[in-house]
Amino acid sequence: MPVADPTQSAFLELAGISKRYAGVRALEGVDFACERGKIHAVLGENGAGKSTLIKIIAGVVQPDSGRMRLAGSEVSFATPSAANAAGVVCIFQELSLMPDLSVADNISIASPPRRFGLIDAKAQRRRAEELLSEIGCEDVNPLRRVRDLPLSRRQVVEIAKALGKRPQLLILDEATSALTSADVEKVYAMLARLKAAGVAILYISHRMHEVEALADRASVFRNGRHIETFDKGRRSTADIIQLMIGRDIAAQYPPKPARNAAKPVLALENLCWERQLDRISLSIGAGEIVGLGGLDGQGQKSLLLALFGVLRGVTGRLTVADREVRPGSPAAAKSVGIALVPEDRKTEGLMLPMSIADNLAIASLDALSTGPFIDTGRERTAIQRAIARLQIKLDAASDAVSTLSGGNQQKVVLAKWLMTDPRIILLNDPTRGIDVGTKQELYRLMRELADQGAAILFYSTDYDELIGCCDRVVIMYDGRIVRELEGDDLTETNIVASSLNVDTDTAAGAAHA
Amino acid sequence: MTAASFSLSRDDRPILIAAAFIVVILVAGTVYTFARFGSAPLLSPAYLLQQLQIGAFLGIVSAGMMIVILIAQIDLSVPWTLAAAAMMATSVGGPLAIPVGLGVGVLVGLVNGVGVAYLRVPSMIFTLGVNAVMRGLMVAHTGGYAPQTGATDLMRMLAGDRTLGIPNALFVWAAVSVLVVVILQRMSLGRYIYAIGNKEAAAYLAGVNTRRVTVVCFVLCGLAAALAGVLLAGYSTKAYQGMGDAYLLPSIAAVVIGGTNILGGRGRYLGTLIGVVLIVLLNSVLSIMEMPEAGRQVIYGLVIIFMLLVYGRGERVTS
Repeated sequence: MPVADPTQSAFLELAGISKRYAGVRALEGVDFACERGKIHAVLGENGAGKSTLIKIIAGVVQPDSGRMRLAGSEVSFATPSAANAAGVVCIFQELSLMPDLSVADNISIASPPRRFGLIDAKAQRRRAEELLSEIGCEDVNPLRRVRDLPLSRRQVVEIAKALGKRPQLLILDEATSALTSADVEKVYAMLARLKAAGVAILYISHRMHEVEALADRASVFRNGRHIETFDKGRRSTADIIQLMIGRDIAAQYPPKPARNAAKPVLALENLCWERQLDRISLSIGAGEIVGLGGLDGQGQKSLLLALFGVLRGVTGRLTVADREVRPGSPAAAKSVGIALVPEDRKTEGLMLPMSIADNLAIASLDALSTGPFIDTGRERTAIQRAIARLQIKLDAASDAVSTLSGGNQQKVVLAKWLMTDPRIILLNDPTRGIDVGTKQELYRLMRELADQGAAILFYSTDYDELIGCCDRVVIMYDGRIVRELEGDDLTETNIVASSLNVDTDTAAGAAHA
Repeated sequence: MTAASFSLSRDDRPILIAAAFIVVILVAGTVYTFARFGSAPLLSPAYLLQQLQIGAFLGIVSAGMMIVILIAQIDLSVPWTLAAAAMMATSVGGPLAIPVGLGVGVLVGLVNGVGVAYLRVPSMIFTLGVNAVMRGLMVAHTGGYAPQTGATDLMRMLAGDRTLGIPNALFVWAAVSVLVVVILQRMSLGRYIYAIGNKEAAAYLAGVNTRRVTVVCFVLCGLAAALAGVLLAGYSTKAYQGMGDAYLLPSIAAVVIGGTNILGGRGRYLGTLIGVVLIVLLNSVLSIMEMPEAGRQVIYGLVIIFMLLVYGRGERVTS
């Protein structure tokens, strides 16, 4: 490669970009630049303006003011396809796949290969295979319907679809948040190859270790402003977090209290469901946070759904506070004190167009009603208490819940359940795509709830989180619990080894050999 | 009612537009009649009350239809639920006429609700099938002729008579309206209805008994159609074949013109009321103009499409 003229080196340059939504400032006078052959992380809390920045670059929204230059010439993209044509491709946080089309259809959806004017299915399939193998995920069958793939694999397909557009500037917006560890490795390798080929990569992630591992350079945003850009290694993680939130954070995770044998609140014995749950036995005591670990799709989500009464045909014994129960629906599970924060807050956790207040009250309306009539006074008090308790940031409780940032939306989901006073709280990856500040609030809240006597079962794809938050972690593999880790055994090595269902000693031995 | 706490939200926009359109219809109709006959019958209270009396039947059907549309379903069995209720009421006669008629509505609603909520058949297909079944049953029951039995005195009184100069049918309509507003605004059932319409999965996972709510909604819709049938039989003194056919499309149109999202989850009852009035007045102005039936249908359809286009513009910006 010829030595680049320093004035020419920035591939993408933004100058003085501002954007407002209905009077609310999203970006204010942002100057920003990124280069070819570099992975550039964009950091900031939810609501810091990262998503708006990316949407402007990708042509989804137009800035109110400011200029954008790509490869030295001024551009302004009216639509995402205009941006694509210029080599700017974005993988958004919200997946954009059509669930009922095949993987191959989805990958080529914008410009399918044609023969005689008709879609050439064979070429399309070959193309999908090539792109998937570029990522290292040849095992995804291009003819499968996207609906049937686990979330992690859907994200892989999303990445393959973006690669198919041959990006010059690739933007990943939380695009690895649902990936399993194995897939993450493959995506990292692919990003390294793209980088070597001179592609400019913009990368948004809330996982600090991921940013540390990947990025050559990072920019921090806060409240719609570009705060600082620095090269890898110039700032410590603590510094970065400080820049992002502008306030001190004492500890990442709240301290764990000394455990004493508590009475089990939730006990399951030989729980089985189809081929996904295989003789699960587990008991959780009052005040305990138990983590569910393992690779994605090993039955953790099915376990949570089974406990919550969603699945049909579950066998085995389930006791709540020494009483055998068999919840046949979420309504029944709720009545014995079980709460579930579901996987996808936008489709399962919230009615997005409805107000924050309506979403908060929906699970506890029975308790807030006199006969069939809602007691509006009591309802309002309960809602205000919930908002205050979780410190949900909002203008008015009558606003649509969709106007909140992701982290605050997740707080609404959790607050909704806390209003029912649950004894058992099931959490399905509740911190996915949430900013650091809110994550820490959630960790603190979990510990607080446990201290008040709740039993918490916590599934997370983030091992760090499991280690930091949980008193105990059970690892699932192929529908079974293969290992239980606690105390000093609760380490990343042990979790990874058990997730792959290899003996820890073997893993250590293999490393030494 | 909600008009007291009036603030201009996106739910109010269609209601205002529809209300404005009612004014336009009245003005245009009056200009026409004044130029042609030198009188303004559209603005006389007697004429308006008579139109509203006819509108009451549509209003009651629409109230039930709105509840079903709010949970993102549809009830296409309304025409023959209405006719069956009327026919059974007149053929039973006596003091049991009205309870039997309403019982038909509850029964059809139950069948619809179970089919949609438990058997998971799409409501568009299931209720269409139930409509055909009801029609067949009624043809078998009557032999395909107009039933010879007449409406009871109570039915005639409720639908045709007046109290203090106001048609009794309007009181029934008002009672139904109050009930629907109470359900939608004050009861947990109403909150569940909106929740299911917005995102059934989220409502289900919040511990809402979505299937039971769905059944209740279809029962309410069947009940409303049956009530309209019983009243309509009282108004025309007897039941007749196809008496409900003229109510299916207008009831859906009234709900949608009133701003209720056809995909569920959003809409206010005030809008449905205004939608009913709009359709009734539009029909009556067209008939005053002696518009031939063909032209009436065209205008009627165009108005519905036009109104929805106007609403649709506002929506796209928010999404």
